[in-house]
Amino acid sequence: MKVTIKDLTKRFASRDKTGETVTAVDTLSAEFESGKLIALLGPSGCGKSTMLNMLSGILPVTSGKIYFDDKDVTELSPDKREVGLVFQNYALYPHMTVLENICFPLKIKKVRKEERIAKAVEIAKMVHIEDYLKRLPKELSGGQQQRVAIARALVKQPKLLLLDEPLSNLDAKLRIEMREEIRRIQRESGVTTVFVTHDQEEATSISDYILLMKLGVMQQFSATRDIYNNPANLFVADFIGNPTINQIHGVYVNGGIKPDGSDEIIPCSIKANENDRVVLAVRPESVLFEGGQTTGTVNDMYSSGKDWLVNFNIGDTELRGYCDADYNVQEGSVIKVGFRDKGQFLFNEETGERY
Amino acid sequence: MAEKKVRKYKDSDEKITAKSLITPFLFSFPFMVGLLIFTVYPFIRAVLLSFMEDYRFLSGKFSGYGLGNYTAIFNDPNFINALKSTTKYVLIVVPTSLAISLLVAVGLNSVKKLQGLFQTAYFLPMVTSATAVGMIFRWLYDFDYGLFNYFLGFFGVDKIHWLADVKYTMASICIYGIWSMLPFTIILLLAGLQNIDPIYYTAAKADGAKAKDIFFNITIPLLAPTIVLTSIVNVMSAFKVYDSLFVLYGAKPGPAFNLYTVIYYLYDQFWNKNKLGYAAASAMVLFAIIALFTLLQNLVTRKTNYYN
Repeated sequence: MKVTIKDLTKRFASRDKTGETVTAVDTLSAEFESGKLIALLGPSGCGKSTMLNMLSGILPVTSGKIYFDDKDVTELSPDKREVGLVFQNYALYPHMTVLENICFPLKIKKVRKEERIAKAVEIAKMVHIEDYLKRLPKELSGGQQQRVAIARALVKQPKLLLLDEPLSNLDAKLRIEMREEIRRIQRESGVTTVFVTHDQEEATSISDYILLMKLGVMQQFSATRDIYNNPANLFVADFIGNPTINQIHGVYVNGGIKPDGSDEIIPCSIKANENDRVVLAVRPESVLFEGGQTTGTVNDMYSSGKDWLVNFNIGDTELRGYCDADYNVQEGSVIKVGFRDKGQFLFNEETGERY
Repeated sequence: MAEKKVRKYKDSDEKITAKSLITPFLFSFPFMVGLLIFTVYPFIRAVLLSFMEDYRFLSGKFSGYGLGNYTAIFNDPNFINALKSTTKYVLIVVPTSLAISLLVAVGLNSVKKLQGLFQTAYFLPMVTSATAVGMIFRWLYDFDYGLFNYFLGFFGVDKIHWLADVKYTMASICIYGIWSMLPFTIILLLAGLQNIDPIYYTAAKADGAKAKDIFFNITIPLLAPTIVLTSIVNVMSAFKVYDSLFVLYGAKPGPAFNLYTVIYYLYDQFWNKNKLGYAAASAMVLFAIIALFTLLQNLVTRKTNYYN
């Protein structure tokens, strides 16, 4: 099912008694393609959970419209929207067994008992929890609870599956395992899925599309690969990628950037207005340690397995780049570096907009 | 030689030694003294007393130990009446007050504004003196000017001699009992309701559940431990009913000595009839009944622990 969001806005009354409102989601428009996995990404407080709750119908919208395919669902209650919801702490009913939990949405729909058990068992097999049907939630591990929560959301065959920070309660190893599981389950069921996360790595590793938000405003909505290779603004460039992108603040002069605290000019093929304050952003893997012409000083080096992560300075700016393990430098070495065109972006310092 | 087993405190590496026990002992000492003097000693005395035959209070003499007091009270129609009436009272008052409290608590829990005010209002009966409440109830039950008869008048029902007619003795003490049981029950249920994570309601709504489905499938089962706890505590306290007889009937068991309760019987044997042995024996019977419910509570509480 295709999801279309038009000028979606949510305002909350402020907690203090000034009577002011806080805008959690600001005139956001987007279209989620059918059968895709979409990540709502952003730092905490950016409105991504609010977005999800409006999609599910738990939270009424202030203004704007939500369409499922061509149907306006903006005013529909959660039960009429055919959405499956997975909560951050799973919210499994503690007094029901795994089977009863999965059956619950069908029980509410008054599906016959044999039929709902058959369906629940089928879904349980898909999420690999068929061996635990008789257990209570308290007798399950975090990962198993997560699977039950997904099964409960899927059993009513929702047209849209919504997951709110589904992995944040799991330990690091399980998180990676479960995110691949979510990917597999989503592929197998083919249901359009939206999941909320603040972890860019989680988002980039499993989603087809990423919608990045900041303070209620959509920053970029594009295919996962594009958001890394083609960030719309400085915030996006900074938020996506680990290690984070290098940022060199300076002035644009003579077709290059003069970094703060340095007299050299870094040549740059991207055009900006002369004397603009700019930020040159470079991905760590786009730093070249051979054939460059900008002078840098090495601060530190860390082994990251097959290659080294070099921490160095250009003027006042600290940067990081990857180099081959046989690259022969040490602390204090003066080096010449350059930047690849790919993974190099120029932004206006004041507005964050990309040139 | 086998190594001497060292006893340690639970969840701690500290060893239990005579020295380490001094501080906790000092802390609990004042309370323990009170408990020993006012609870443990009287209880042991009462157990002994219930087996002493022909005990005389002033001389402290008795003819010997035996089951005479027990056979005597079980042959006393007043005691049998007391057991029956008390059981009937428990069976009426506990479920009714629980049902009303549940309604009120669910209502209070969903009230957004002035919740504190309402909670205080419902808690008031608990801190009001029994005598004052008794006065008010005597007025409520008044044949000519009482509020109950006034309301019955609206429905065209004839006035009732609430306190004078023996047919209405049970009803009168039950209404009083239900009313006085409400605050404690409501507070406990409300606490139980507030302990339910609202995420379950949200989840149920997302699963398509309506208010009625949520109440029966989520609220009630999750409140079950609290419901069981309050019911059993209320059963125990209802078995000890006698204050209503005091305030409504001026220390008589009903207008025509028609409604004994176990505690009233005990009181009566002790103060009015000077049969201390009978009083002690009836106390032991009541103790056995209440102990049974305590055991039941422990059992059920373990069954309804859904968390950890």
